Amino acid sequence: MRARTFLVTLTLFLLFFNLSIFLFSAITLKTNLDGSRERSLGEHYFIASTYGKDLYALESRGTIADAALGSLFQSYSAYYGKQGVALELSEEGRILYTSLPKGDRRSGHSQAAIPGERTVTTTKLDGRTYVSVIGNLPAPYETYTLTYLYDVSGYLSAWSRMTGMLFLLGIVLCTLLAVCLHFVLGRVFKPLRQISEASKCIAQGEYGNRIGATRHDELSEMADSFNHMAEEIQKQIGQLKLAAEQKQRFIDNFAHELRTPLTSIYGYAEYIQKVELTDEDKLAATDYIMSESRRLQNLAYQLLELATLGRSDIRREPVEIKELFRKTEETLKLKLEDCKVRLTWKCRLDAVDGDRDLLESLVVNLADNAVKACPPGGLVLLEAYMESERPVILVTDDGKGMTDEQLGRVTEAFYRVDQARSRAGGGAGLGLALCEQIAASHGAKLSFSSQIGRGTISKITFTTS
Amino acid sequence: MATILIVEDEKPINELIRRSLQTVGHRCVSVYDGQAAVDELAQNKYDLLLLDIMLPKMGGYEVFERIRGIPTIILTARDGLSDRVKGLTMGADDYITKPFEMLELLARVDAVLRRTRRERTGESFELDGMRIDFGSRQIYCDQQPIEYTPREFELLETLVRNRNIALSREKLLELAWGYDYEGDTRTVDVHIQRLRKKFGLEDRIKTVYKLGYRLEV
Repeated sequence: MRARTFLVTLTLFLLFFNLSIFLFSAITLKTNLDGSRERSLGEHYFIASTYGKDLYALESRGTIADAALGSLFQSYSAYYGKQGVALELSEEGRILYTSLPKGDRRSGHSQAAIPGERTVTTTKLDGRTYVSVIGNLPAPYETYTLTYLYDVSGYLSAWSRMTGMLFLLGIVLCTLLAVCLHFVLGRVFKPLRQISEASKCIAQGEYGNRIGATRHDELSEMADSFNHMAEEIQKQIGQLKLAAEQKQRFIDNFAHELRTPLTSIYGYAEYIQKVELTDEDKLAATDYIMSESRRLQNLAYQLLELATLGRSDIRREPVEIKELFRKTEETLKLKLEDCKVRLTWKCRLDAVDGDRDLLESLVVNLADNAVKACPPGGLVLLEAYMESERPVILVTDDGKGMTDEQLGRVTEAFYRVDQARSRAGGGAGLGLALCEQIAASHGAKLSFSSQIGRGTISKITFTTS
Repeated sequence: MATILIVEDEKPINELIRRSLQTVGHRCVSVYDGQAAVDELAQNKYDLLLLDIMLPKMGGYEVFERIRGIPTIILTARDGLSDRVKGLTMGADDYITKPFEMLELLARVDAVLRRTRRERTGESFELDGMRIDFGSRQIYCDQQPIEYTPREFELLETLVRNRNIALSREKLLELAWGYDYEGDTRTVDVHIQRLRKKFGLEDRIKTVYKLGYRLEV
């Protein structure tokens, strides 16, 4: 691209430059020659008429015509010779006198003039160029022909020297131009080169690469949009990396979740097979096998739910909040009694749109977590109200609260704030991950805020009523 | 044989380990979190510690840092290379990943105990007037030393160390003869018969249907 631009520009310049030199010198030559012709014509007329008058005057004074012709020619040619002009006098084609330098002299004959007319020609005589004007002397000497020869070879050689100089100058200028063009193009194409280098870097995985643009033109605009593109790519790659990391962590955790019950199941089966056991021991071992199998089953079920929730559309119907809260309390009744935790609700909202079963599962899950976090005598509060035209459901507890780090990971699959208790209860660590999915499928946002020792608030914000 | 503390928060696994170790005669105590483990170790003396890494209240590595000096086998469900390297470079004696087999657990426990108790006087095992001195590799019946082949001793030791547990003929070949032994499983039967006769263990070494043999104590 750069080389091509360079060559094309240079060629075009050379073409036009040389063409203009050529035209300029041609025109100068023509104008000058035309000027010389005009002048020669005028001079010829003047010389011819004065010559005729002088001849007449000499003849009337009695000088012999031939002698007068000769002496007059001598004085004329001497006078004009100083101006680079040669004269020639002939009679009917026969040259009588000539002031041409010896080498240029033509043989005895000269061109005869057409009577009453004067002709202008450019003649070359032995390397010298003359503008010649041929015409007869005025009457009564019209038999004599006066040829006026103006030497232009000096001018011509000056012209050709100048043209040569011009072309030489042209070559020097072209060389200079080529050098300048090289640098200018280098500067002009610098952003392009930067862009191509930066794209190479990006292709190799260095997504942080940017182009520094200092000027304000089309190229810097292009650099800007390139930078924008690079930024977007970097952002997307970052998201992909994050997603991949999350997926990896999910798989790691999943493997761990599978291994723990499998260890028990395999171990107790081996124990029953290889050790002589009492009936009581056998019962205990089979109990463990069964409960751990159930745990695996639970895990499979919840994972399936998590997977299908992300894919399918949900039913939408008005769900009464009071009913929702009442059912939640009913579901958790046993647990509330066990943990000695109270549950109350404040409802300032009639209904929200959504899937009844899913919303119930969502609230029950959040309330269940709240109950687990509470010490005996704690209080769990369910609230529903409008907040800036959006329905909000709030689950508040006055339990032990969470750290910011725990808060950030709480909806991650298999993450447990309190490992021992949750596992003893048969949880797979998927509860809040499910909650988040349910909220997302309703177009709602699930957020948490917490303070150590003060309690946790879970908030569901619906985007539409 | 040895007193072992089991630190594992999963109750089923904790109990499984305890039962397995008790079967071969170890004394075991179970705790379910890191803090309890540190407290227990401060009060009583243990020969070996089986330590899970993911524990509530105090993580396994932290427990390990605090109790330095007691032989430790780390138990974990994570078998990433970095986890294993971390456990071992911290000075753990061995590393077992879940899920594990009972025999593997027992073998590793035995190996660590043997290594860490080498300087002590040789341990012995007594049963019905027969006494095995593992240190000097002597077997006595009613105080009389008895002649035996090295293979017989290996087999008897394997049975004793995994007593009350049924061992398949293949497992016995692997443990008493070594991995590279390419023999018929009937070799095991022949040797078992000899052991029964020589040491009067006819009632003790039981044939388990379709499985193998078990030394019942």
